[in-house]
Order: sequence, then C-alpha cells, then structure tokens
Amino acid sequence: MATTTAPTTPSVSSTDPTNVIVETRNLGKIYRDFWGRKKVNAIKALDIEVRRGEIFGLLGPNGSGKSTTIKLMLGLLFPTSGRAFVFGKDATDVAKNERIGYLPEESYLYKFLNAEETLDFYGRLFDMPASVRRERTEQLIQMVGLQRARRRQLKEYSKGMTRRIGLAQALINEPEFLVLDEPTTGLDPIGTREMKDLILRLRDQGKTILLCSHQLADVQDVCDRVAILHQGELKELGRVDSLLKVQDVTQIHAKGLDEKTKQEIKDLIARSNGEMLRMDNPTTSMEELFLDIVRESDQRPGRRGSGA
Amino acid sequence: MRLSPDQFWTYFEWLFDHFALLQGFLLVLVLVLVGFVIGFVVALLKHGPTEGFLQVAKLIRELFAIDIPQTSTRRIGAIARLAIKEAIRKKVLVVVAVFIVAIMFAGWYLDPQAQYPARLYISFVLTTTNYMVILLGLFLSCFSLPTDIKSKIIYTIVTKPVRPTELFLGRVVGFSSVGTMILLLLGSMSYLFVVRGVDHKHEAMEISADGNSGVTTSQQYHSHTFSLDDAGEGTTSEAKGHKHIVSKNGDKIVVGESTGDLEARVPIYGLLRFTGRDGEESTGLNVGYMSEYQKYIEGDSLSSAIWSFKGVDRTRFDKALTYDMTISAFRTYKGDIVTPVGGVVVFRSIDGTVVSERLPFKVKEFQVDQRSIPIKGLKGFRNEQPADLDFFTDIAPDGKFEVMIRCLDKSQYLGMASADLYFRAKPVPFWWNFIKGYISIWLQMVIVICFGVMFSTFLSGPVAVIATVSIIVLGFFGFFVDDIVKQADQGIGPIASLIRIPLQSGSGTELDLGNVVLESVIKRVDQGILICLQTLSRAIPNFIQLGTADFVAYGVNLFEGLLARHLTICAGYFLMTGIISYFFLKTREMAA
Repeated sequence: MATTTAPTTPSVSSTDPTNVIVETRNLGKIYRDFWGRKKVNAIKALDIEVRRGEIFGLLGPNGSGKSTTIKLMLGLLFPTSGRAFVFGKDATDVAKNERIGYLPEESYLYKFLNAEETLDFYGRLFDMPASVRRERTEQLIQMVGLQRARRRQLKEYSKGMTRRIGLAQALINEPEFLVLDEPTTGLDPIGTREMKDLILRLRDQGKTILLCSHQLADVQDVCDRVAILHQGELKELGRVDSLLKVQDVTQIHAKGLDEKTKQEIKDLIARSNGEMLRMDNPTTSMEELFLDIVRESDQRPGRRGSGA
Repeated sequence: MRLSPDQFWTYFEWLFDHFALLQGFLLVLVLVLVGFVIGFVVALLKHGPTEGFLQVAKLIRELFAIDIPQTSTRRIGAIARLAIKEAIRKKVLVVVAVFIVAIMFAGWYLDPQAQYPARLYISFVLTTTNYMVILLGLFLSCFSLPTDIKSKIIYTIVTKPVRPTELFLGRVVGFSSVGTMILLLLGSMSYLFVVRGVDHKHEAMEISADGNSGVTTSQQYHSHTFSLDDAGEGTTSEAKGHKHIVSKNGDKIVVGESTGDLEARVPIYGLLRFTGRDGEESTGLNVGYMSEYQKYIEGDSLSSAIWSFKGVDRTRFDKALTYDMTISAFRTYKGDIVTPVGGVVVFRSIDGTVVSERLPFKVKEFQVDQRSIPIKGLKGFRNEQPADLDFFTDIAPDGKFEVMIRCLDKSQYLGMASADLYFRAKPVPFWWNFIKGYISIWLQMVIVICFGVMFSTFLSGPVAVIATVSIIVLGFFGFFVDDIVKQADQGIGPIASLIRIPLQSGSGTELDLGNVVLESVIKRVDQGILICLQTLSRAIPNFIQLGTADFVAYGVNLFEGLLARHLTICAGYFLMTGIISYFFLKTREMAA
C-alpha cells in the first residue's frame, strides 16, 4: 500500500498545512449511466497531497483513474464521495482557478484563432488588463518558440505546435499550480526535452506541478514524488528516488579503469561474499544519441559519417 | 390592420393597471419554487435530505453572494468577442448573401400591380428579415456550447476563473452582437429596396383648357387625376395608396414626390364605452356576428358609443384636429340602399359643460373616413349657450375629452371598436418607424438566443434546436390556451371534455352528471389544470404579440409604449433563461 515519504524539496514541510496545494480526502468517483446504474468505479477512496514547490507525478495504466483524479481536482467532475481541496478551497470553487494553469491531454483550443488571439482570449478570462496581456503574450510566444507562427490559425498547426500553444495558455496567468496532462504527447524528442527542461525551470521558479503521463521515463526524469494508480486505487506514493532505489544492489560508475583493476574489484566483491551481477560499459539512451546527432547536424550540415 | 385595445395601452397602464408586473412576479415566483423543488428532489436523491437542502441553499447563496457580484465585464466581453469571431470566421455572413439573392429575385414573386405596393414591399422585407435573423439566432445559440463541450474546449474555459453567469452572458451578448450586425446590414438593404421600389415620378398630361386639372402619365401600373386651386397648388387623386403634390411653376405643372405610401401616422386612441337605448351604461350590442370585435349602437335612441381620450395636447397637431373613423353599419331593413346609414359625432369636455355642435356623417363602409375639425373657431355650446370654441382651451384643457357617436336612423345600427376612431397627430418619419420595426425583430432574436443558450446548457446541439423551435412554435399558439382557460368555467376543461366524449354531450350544454358535487369538483380541477397551463404559456414568448411588421407596413406609428413593453418582456425572458442556465451550468459536470 501507499507509503508517504519525506518532502522532495528542501523548502517544503509536509506538516505545514499552507504548503499543501492539493489534498484529496477519501475521494471517490463512480460513473453512472442515464438511469443511475453504476458503470465504473473510477476512483476509490483516494488520499493524496501535492505540496508546494514539488513536481508530483500521477502514473498508471489506461483506465487507472489518473484523468478522473485531475478532473476532480479541477472541478470538471464532482466527487461521488470524499472531497478534493485546492489551495484549501473546495475543488468546485471557481476562485481557485485564478492560481491554476491547466494543460489538458489534447490541446483543446479554438482552431479558428491564431496564437496571439488565443493567448489574448485566455488572458481576458483572467481579467488581465490589455497591457499585461500584450506583454505576457509576447513572453509566452517567445518561450514556446512560436514567433513565426503567431498569426497563423491553430487549425494550421502541427500537433507539436498545438501542444506548445496549449502550454502557453496554461501559463498565461503565471500560475502557482500547474496541472499538466500528458505534456509530452505529440512532441518530438527535442520538444520532449525542451518540455522537461521547462517543467524543471518552472519548478525552480517555485511553481507546483502535477504531472500525469504514460511516459515513465519522463516522469522519472522530472518528478519529485509520484503516485501510482491502478483500477482507481492508490498503489504507491512516494519520492521517485526512494521508490526506484534497489536497496541491496550497489552501483559504481568509474572512468579510466584498466582490466587489472576491474579484476581486483571482482575479487574484492567475491571476498566480501557479494555477488557480481554485471560489469560492462554503459550505453547512452536513444534520446541522448538523437539529440547529439541533431545538435551536430545544426553545427555541421551535411551527411554524417556512419557509425556502423 | 386591426388593433386591439391592449396594443395602445401606455407602458405604465400595462405594467400596473393591467397587472403585467404582478404577473411577472408570480411567474418568477412559480419558476423559483418549481426550480427549488426539482433541485431539492435531485439533491435529496444524491445526498440525502439535510445535505441535499444545504446543497440547494449553497447554490442559491453563491448566485447572489458570489457569482453575480464577481461577474466580470472583461470576461463577458472576451466570450462575446470570441462568439463574434467564431461567427464571422465560420462565414455567418452567408445570411446576408442569401438575403441579397432573395431581394434580387423579389420581383418574381411580389406583384407590382398590387393595390398597396409599399405595404407589400415592407411586409416582404420585414418578414424575410425576421425569419432569417431568428433562424440565425437559433443555430448560433444552440450549437456553440454543446460543440465546446463535445470538443472538450470547455475544459480550458471552466478551469479559468469563469463564472456560469459569464458563460451565459458572454454567449448571449456575442450572438446578439452578431445578429445586430447582420440586422443592420439587412435593415439598410431593406430600406433601400423599399424606398427605391416605390420611388416613381409622373408628368402632367391631358391638361384642361383652364390649366387647373388633368391626368398624370402612367408609372408603375397607375396614373392619377389632379386639380389645382387658384393659388396653383393641389394634390392628385389617390392611387396605389399614395398621392402626389402638384404645383404650377409658371405655365408648367409639376407633379412632385409621392406622399402617403411611406408614412407613419401617429394615432391617438381612446377607451370605448357604450350606453344603451335608455342612456345607461351598457356593453354594446352584438348583432349576431361570430366576431365580437365590434359592438353596435341602436339608431334614433340614446344608445351611444363614447371614447375617452387623455394626453392630447395642442403641440401634437397643426391647425386642425384630424381623426379617422372606420364605422360599419348593420341594417335591420333595406331602406334606401344607396343612402348610407347616418350618424353624428359630438366632442365634449369630461364634465359635459362644453359640447361641440353635432357633426353629421354618413357611414363609409370598408374604408377609412378621414375627417377634421378646426382647433379654433369650432362651433358649440358652453353651459348650453352657443359659443365659438377653442378645442384645447374649452373642450380639452387638461388633454382629456370625450367623443360621442350616435346613430340617426331608426332601427339601423352602427358598429365600432376601440381602434375604429382615432386622432391623427403629426406623423413621425417613416425611417424612424422602420427602425422601430427592426428593433422589434431584434428583440425577438434576442429572446430566441436566450432560449437557445439556455437549452444548450443541458442539451446537445440538435436537441437544443428542437427545444427552441418548439418554444417558438408554442409561442405562436399561446393565445389558444387563453381561449381554453376562459371556457373552463363553462365545463369545457380537459376532464369535462373527456367525460363528454362517451356521453356524446356537446360543449354548448351544461355538463350534467346528476351529481352537483362531482360536477363542481370536475370544474374546479379543470380550472386548476388550465391555470397551470396558462402560467406555463405565459413562460413562453408570444411571438404574435411581439411581431410588429403590420405597424410599419400599414403606416401606423409603432408606439413607444408598446416597444417598451416588448423590451420589458425581452428583459424578463433574458432574466428567466439566465437564472435557469446558471443552475444548469453550476450543477453540470463539464467532463462527464
């Protein structure tokens, strides 16, 4: 069952209630049909907390209740039992939205607007004055790299561009709490990396982020704490590094060892009654390889020598 | 065009004397109670009695304490602007193109030889515009919110600090703005179409030897005869609903612009009452016609029709008081069929001390008899002494006076209704009446938009369209319910009618079940059912009442009081649909 761990960021204290951004208490959601008959028990007695300044990941297979949990937190759905609080207010309270940014799973935006109009529209929904809207729109278009497409209608955008304008609208109000549902969906590896870097930057700026993703590597890369859901139940909750740590296996990374030294290490392990599991050269990740190739290509255009 | 007395009530008469305000309050009260009960039952089933009650109470408190005070005009503006952009980018201006095509081919189906071409053109453009704009409002309002919900765009809206009030207001304002723009375009084109359609010029021809009379050339399937006075001025005969001013310019006779076809006369109506043959108050006679629009007075008796006028002052007239009469006659014997039935008109002060002389007239059936009396130098009697009267000093010093009509011929009858005698004040420009006609269309459009948005808060787009169309259709038949309610007391309610079928009992007879108590119970239950039905029919806009195209087409000034009433009715529906929408938006799971 779930295990609660220590706070992820040094500034956060779990005992201080003002540092809890989201809290669910015994939260449950049952979907019913038109006649009120139970269809799906999507969430069962969920108790989680998202603390100020952390990146909190919500993981789980399809149908595990991740999206339902997010929708309950945002007031898009009403709980069947229990309650969800955001900034200490009921999740259905509209006032909480002043401090929230939300990037949905797909970028649900008006396709007949262009990027500037989209951000201006969402800025108006936050009651922002014209000068602030203009300034913020400019900043965000720069940030998500849509300068050259700012006047094009969103229906002409690629999926990656739509994702980026979706992120920009989520940040229009400089939210304290950001809810990102599958933020890297539709992005190429460069976009994915940029998105992850941005998430970390936003965390460093003091924002709290709730991230829901299928991309386990992405979650591992950026999240401080995760909750794993399955069939509507919370199966695991804790710090990423703690959860992933294999307690009885030791990993050593070293550089410049000759064969003799490696043998001595093996002998030492044997003498200490340890079991040598693996000693080899590490491989880089496909993401790193891809990014290296693209970077190199940017610097030196032309055909690259085959590594095969 | 027949006006009913309720159409010329002043705004405040309608609001207070005829209980419109009270009815409005009662309707709101009933709706609130029904809404509260339904809301409570739903909450009761979901949360139990205590929590259910608290939920409903919380909802009502939030509406007045939070959501209304914190409604932001900037957010409403944002949603409205979005609606406008959406409409424009989704090519809603196609409506204008369709209208242009309709006007281009209007000549194919509008009869240029019609007796009143101006009336035909005005009716055509107003009716076409009315239907187009209502359809536009219907489709814009019914599909927008359901599309946002279906495409999940609503997720990015309601997760911003947007309140249900703003979602409703933004959409209504946005779609109304689109409709207003379209209406302005259609209105401008319609005005040009009408003005250019009736515009024509004649030349004088066949001039008499003395040069003072003649005939005009034929234009647009008609010509006029004319005659000039010694000063060389005159008018043509009336044809196709208009005349021309004719004047002499040296030796040349000039036929000027047409008058009377594009006009907006300002009628001043009074309240009609009757006296019987003994001079006592009565309800007027029914001579056996099915329609009870006109009531009759008996000839050669004290039977009279008396109109009471108020608010009539000198500034509204020129040198004379012009009045129109549309009196009909009912003969109990044929007599001299060539000679019309005669009557007299008398103008008198409210206290009866100042009376004009008896002004005889012969009934001009099936046409408007236009007559006038001088304001100064009117012959009459002051305290039964002959005197030259000033109408506004002697007869109507405070704007109030009476007009009495009596029939002179024995055993013949004169028939009249309230609207059959009215004074014609200085006319207002046609273009202003035309604009008021369009304001009326605009109000109907806004009502349709309000209902469309309301239904779209809890129904899918196509179902919302069907629901709104149903409201429009029911709105056209609301008067049926009123008629049925009036008959409930005579045992013609729904339950009584059901019983009458197997008994083969006609509606003209009393319901006879042999049990007085049972009959009484059935009558009361029927009344209850029909009053509920009537209340419901009041909740539905009566589009027949709201339609004012006839006023413009028939050249009658659309009273500001009537327009103000329609505006108030529109505001009432706006409020009602707004409140209902609020509760649906507030209690709806947007992601369900």
